[in-house]
Amino acid sequence: MSSRFWVQSGNDTEEEEESDYESDVETGGGGGDTAGAAAGSRYLTGNASDSDDSDGQKRVVRSAKDKRFEEMSATVDQMKNAMKINDWVSLQESFEKMNKQLEKVIRVTESEKAPTLYIKALVMLEDFLGEALANKDAKKKMSASNAKALNSMKQKLKKNNKQFEDLINKFREKPESEVERESDDESADEDDSETEFEEDPSKAIISDSGDEDEDEEGEGGGVWEKKMSKKDKLMDKQFMKDPSEITWDTVNKKLKEIVAARGRKGTGRVEQVEQLTFLTKVAKTPAQKLEILFSVVSAQFDVNPSLSGHMPINVWKKCVQNVLVILDILEHYPNIVVDDSVEPDENESQKGADYKGTIRVWGNLVAFLERMDAEFFKSLQCIDPHTKEYVERLRDEPMFLVLAQNVQNYLEMVGDFKAAAKVALKRVELIYYKPQEVYDAMRKLAEQTEGGENGEGDAEEERQVVEESRGPPAFVVTPELVPRRPTFPENSRTLMDILVSLIYKYGDERTKARAMLCDIYHHAILDEFATSRDLLLMSHLQDGVQHMDISTQILFNRAMAQLGLCSFRVGLISEAHGCLSELYMGGRVKELLAQGVSQSRYHEKTPEQEKLERRRQMPYHMHINLELLEAVHLVCAMLIEVPNMAANTHDAKRKVISKTFRRLLEVSERQTFTGPPENVRDHVMASTRALSKGNFQKAFDVTKSLDVWKLLRNQENVLQMLETKIKEEALRTYLFTYASSYESLSLDQLTTIFDLSESHVHSLVSKMMIMEELHASWDQPTRCIVFYKVEHTRLQALAFQFTEKLSILAESNERALEAKTGGGLDGLPPRRREGQDYAGATTGKWHENFAQGRQGSLRTGYGGGGRLPTSSQASASGFMRDRAGQSRGAGGYSSGYQSTRYQDAYGGVGRSPYQTGSTVRGSQMENSARMSATCQLTLKGVTVGIPISIY
Amino acid sequence: MAQYDLTRRIAPQLDRHLVFPLLEFLQERQLHHDDEILKAKIELLSETNMVDYAMDIHKSLYHTEEVPQDMVDRRVEVVGRLKSLEESAAPLISFLQNPSSVQELRPDKQYNLQMLNDRYQIGPEQIEALYQYAKFQFECGNYSGAADYLYQYRALSTNSERSLSALWGKLAAEILMQNWDIALEELNRLREIIDSKNFASPLNQLQSRIWLMHWSLFIFFNHESGRTGLIDLFFYDRYINAIQTNAPHLLRYLATAFIVNKRRRPQLKEFIRVIQQEQQSYKDPITEFLECLYVNYDFDGAQKKLRECEDVILNDPFLGKRVEEGNFATVPLRDEFLENARLFIFETYCRIHQCIDMGVLAEKLNLNYDEAERWIVNLVRNAKLDAKIDSKSGTVVMEPNHLNVYEQIIENTKALAGRTYKLAHQLLEAAPAQPAR
Repeated sequence: MSSRFWVQSGNDTEEEEESDYESDVETGGGGGDTAGAAAGSRYLTGNASDSDDSDGQKRVVRSAKDKRFEEMSATVDQMKNAMKINDWVSLQESFEKMNKQLEKVIRVTESEKAPTLYIKALVMLEDFLGEALANKDAKKKMSASNAKALNSMKQKLKKNNKQFEDLINKFREKPESEVERESDDESADEDDSETEFEEDPSKAIISDSGDEDEDEEGEGGGVWEKKMSKKDKLMDKQFMKDPSEITWDTVNKKLKEIVAARGRKGTGRVEQVEQLTFLTKVAKTPAQKLEILFSVVSAQFDVNPSLSGHMPINVWKKCVQNVLVILDILEHYPNIVVDDSVEPDENESQKGADYKGTIRVWGNLVAFLERMDAEFFKSLQCIDPHTKEYVERLRDEPMFLVLAQNVQNYLEMVGDFKAAAKVALKRVELIYYKPQEVYDAMRKLAEQTEGGENGEGDAEEERQVVEESRGPPAFVVTPELVPRRPTFPENSRTLMDILVSLIYKYGDERTKARAMLCDIYHHAILDEFATSRDLLLMSHLQDGVQHMDISTQILFNRAMAQLGLCSFRVGLISEAHGCLSELYMGGRVKELLAQGVSQSRYHEKTPEQEKLERRRQMPYHMHINLELLEAVHLVCAMLIEVPNMAANTHDAKRKVISKTFRRLLEVSERQTFTGPPENVRDHVMASTRALSKGNFQKAFDVTKSLDVWKLLRNQENVLQMLETKIKEEALRTYLFTYASSYESLSLDQLTTIFDLSESHVHSLVSKMMIMEELHASWDQPTRCIVFYKVEHTRLQALAFQFTEKLSILAESNERALEAKTGGGLDGLPPRRREGQDYAGATTGKWHENFAQGRQGSLRTGYGGGGRLPTSSQASASGFMRDRAGQSRGAGGYSSGYQSTRYQDAYGGVGRSPYQTGSTVRGSQMENSARMSATCQLTLKGVTVGIPISIY
Repeated sequence: MAQYDLTRRIAPQLDRHLVFPLLEFLQERQLHHDDEILKAKIELLSETNMVDYAMDIHKSLYHTEEVPQDMVDRRVEVVGRLKSLEESAAPLISFLQNPSSVQELRPDKQYNLQMLNDRYQIGPEQIEALYQYAKFQFECGNYSGAADYLYQYRALSTNSERSLSALWGKLAAEILMQNWDIALEELNRLREIIDSKNFASPLNQLQSRIWLMHWSLFIFFNHESGRTGLIDLFFYDRYINAIQTNAPHLLRYLATAFIVNKRRRPQLKEFIRVIQQEQQSYKDPITEFLECLYVNYDFDGAQKKLRECEDVILNDPFLGKRVEEGNFATVPLRDEFLENARLFIFETYCRIHQCIDMGVLAEKLNLNYDEAERWIVNLVRNAKLDAKIDSKSGTVVMEPNHLNVYEQIIENTKALAGRTYKLAHQLLEAAPAQPAR
């Protein structure tokens, strides 16, 4: 519909002449297109009125584009003149000139389509040429040069016209496009404002979409609406006049035409949607309606052209309704099959409602759904989370869930489980981050919206929208078969289980991985640490996550963070630290969790990177509270690191568990004055200072004063747990620090100092003795700890360090040789663990940094509590073997855990996440892809004496 | 004590016939109501061919002479089927029962098949019939016959699926006949196949492992070298994985084996980690005992758990096996367990004490003062304990056991020389290869 351009350029007097001329041609030429005659005349009358209007038009400053058009139309004029005098030589010249101008015009307008002006000229030329050739007498009379020019013209035109064949045909065939132009022309006085819209798409959209923006845009908006109604009227004129005359063909033709205009410059996007929506009402067969609805939905997606912005919300809602109608149709006519793999027959949709065989319609429901989800996500990203709008938008979530549920049901009914798994994932992704309370709230909301019809403004609005677009009664009435109300199980976990097991069964790798992460996250929220941990370890996700796409990596980080919080809540400090320390390693938590951008001092980001990053951000309601996360991480680090520091006072550098914590501590110690704590870090640092002196009460009080604990659900219990932990660590620190000052220490005294029960102290101290952390033993009759003097002199300590370094050296030599020769050095004594860890950490970390480079470096391994990143696989194979062996001996839970349990590389057996309860879910590890697929084991419903079919 | 009864969890992993001994044991211990057990037995038998037995149980359960019609029908059916199977397998069986003709068989399977086919007109159908017949015999409770036929079948069968099934059947039959030595052999054979075979899905393999472990319980707690065998099997990486995945209740048996077996102490630490991991999914007094002792160092707790352990052992069909000696019925495993557990407690206790009151010790060990003293003296005499008894104050005094710093350093560096030598040696070995490259 480049008519507007045409109008723009042809505003002046040429237009009249031209159209005059054309009518001449058409009536005079006679033979060419009889079909278009009527239309042509209509066009003529339309134009007549138009020219009146354009008289009053003021001249406007012309842009480069306009200039080009002007030039071109001047050339066309010349051609016309040449035609009048039958001067083929000049005609040929003008033709060439016009072709050159065409290039320029195309460059300026940036469209791929030749302007109508040009096409029109071509048509005119062609007709004239035909005429000239037909008139043999005149041809004979021509001068030699003229005849030559005529002949060459004939050939050139033939060649040239081939390129524009369809356009020309369309031009000839389609009176409608002329008709449409009419409406534009009629409102020609506003044309300037119209074109302005077109030049600025974003602005255009605002005025397009917005009733709310109407005031701003004032005149323009008003005009728009007027025009729309005009268009509707026209449609009506065309179709409604005599409904009986509307045939499948007309509708089909119209559809084709509108679809063909899609994406072209100058096609009003909203306009297109309107047209198509109208068409749905006049569709003759269900299949056709379906076909048109598919186009409507795609057109609705087109409404927002930019990647960063989101689809207008009301369009989104309409879109949801449309897809629901699609589902209605599909439900109602089960013989209609939606497919996007094969191009269906041209006239497939002609088959009526009573047709029994399968009808194939082109379309992809899953793609639609995914797109809708993306748009929903984007809209939440863009809307300011602190406004009411955001909340309103969030309320649309159940709507999407209904849709997803219905689509999934349909796909399952059809048997396309793969696609169903994809849809299920979308549902999972909307649910996994919701704790039970939020889930309940959503469920209630969903029930309300549907229940109280008048209550919700939103629903009302929606209905209106639907009503509005309904207007005249549709030919194909589709009853609302698909439920419009979401059905949520009582418990979010139940829902997750259903969805997730479907995905594990049918999903592809990425879908499964994502579902698994969501599952882990959700379990973690529900405080089911063991299940969550087992799922993570069983799935081996941490090994392969750095090869996955960034959004999955973000999801992984989120799951890890949540797992960390979860293990903290249940009191597993070192596990929590293991989960969280890596997130905090680079100081880029925000980025890793996609909850904001942190500035980096060292390298500037390019705008593209920033844009990409912004697109990845999580909407606000999905955020994990960063302060809480930081508090948990630092508190865990404190609980681990403080006794560790106390134990290794001699060489503090040797065993660093949390580097981040150490760095913070150094910074805070360097301060000359320490004020009262303000942020999380200050608090933890203050608490650390108290703890390292053995003052557990103060340490706890300071930690407790943090506000973030309010965010925990079972605050009381957690704080109690924290208090006990702090006491324990205080006791340990105290013993480490002051053991050398005591000859003996009574149990009673320790219990009073640290306010712990006797058995608790006894167990703690015993553990320290067994681990040889404390060189002491109990004197049972007197209930005392007797310390041994095993203080090493400086020389001795140095000697120990020296021997340790020696063994590290020997080890690295061995490894080097192994790497070179490939063979293992069997029969060597088991290597010392510390050395191994040390070396492992360095290579691992190096590799990790290297591999991840710049692209967001989002994920690293989980194993080894951060000390042995799993990404260190690149190091020598011998090392790997060793690691499995040594980590079993001791070490963090995760590394030990992994190696003992999941070494089973060939067997590939995972473990069942749910052994309790009635569902015995076995699980398996698909070893090739290292992704676990949990699926129903055949052990369901076992009673005593189930037959075993093996024998 | 019913809460620690594992029958419900174990039974699904066993063959029907293997569940019988468990039910018998339960009946003996009277943990459950007698009627319930009898009902369970009938249910169990309903799928087998031991109809006569089922009838007997039915009679004793309802105290009637009436037998439901379907049992009678089933009996007729079973007998009929037995006849027909017998017939179809007859040629092969008669061949096998003739010692002279069996002599003709050679280790070469192909040859055997060929020979049977040519000379005795025994083809694949007959061999298949042998399998069916053996299975039927097993169903009828004729285990020794089934075992024999299955053995023969395995020698002749070329179908690997079938021969695996036959092996399972043979194992079950041997277990039921209590031929522990042969059963152990079969078990190892089966294990080899399971570990080496490429299963269609890892899930099947996992399931097979779990079955194997459950079945092996019968053998290991009856065979004299069973406890070591149990640890070797269960604590093998893949099997411990399987336990953790789908059958954490087997940890009880593994834990017991660890406590009873002195030779496997080095692996204990590792096992305790497994127990800790599996806390959520399984715990019973035996695992809790280990946890108390080695994780929390809570000796009183361990003491308490030890008492519960005794009950658990007595009520466990595998652990609580009785040996009748004259009028006494002893549970050998219980005694062994208690003795070892006591030693565990004592050892750990001694490690962290330098001086212990004998009275307290006696109490902790569940012994009286004199017994305790004797016990300790024995330990000291056997050089298991580096301690002395201070009989005046009634205490045991440990000798401080601390490595000298110099010794430690020497210990650390001792290996280095050897390693370096080895390294150099390897380097030299590799050296000739390098110029060639």
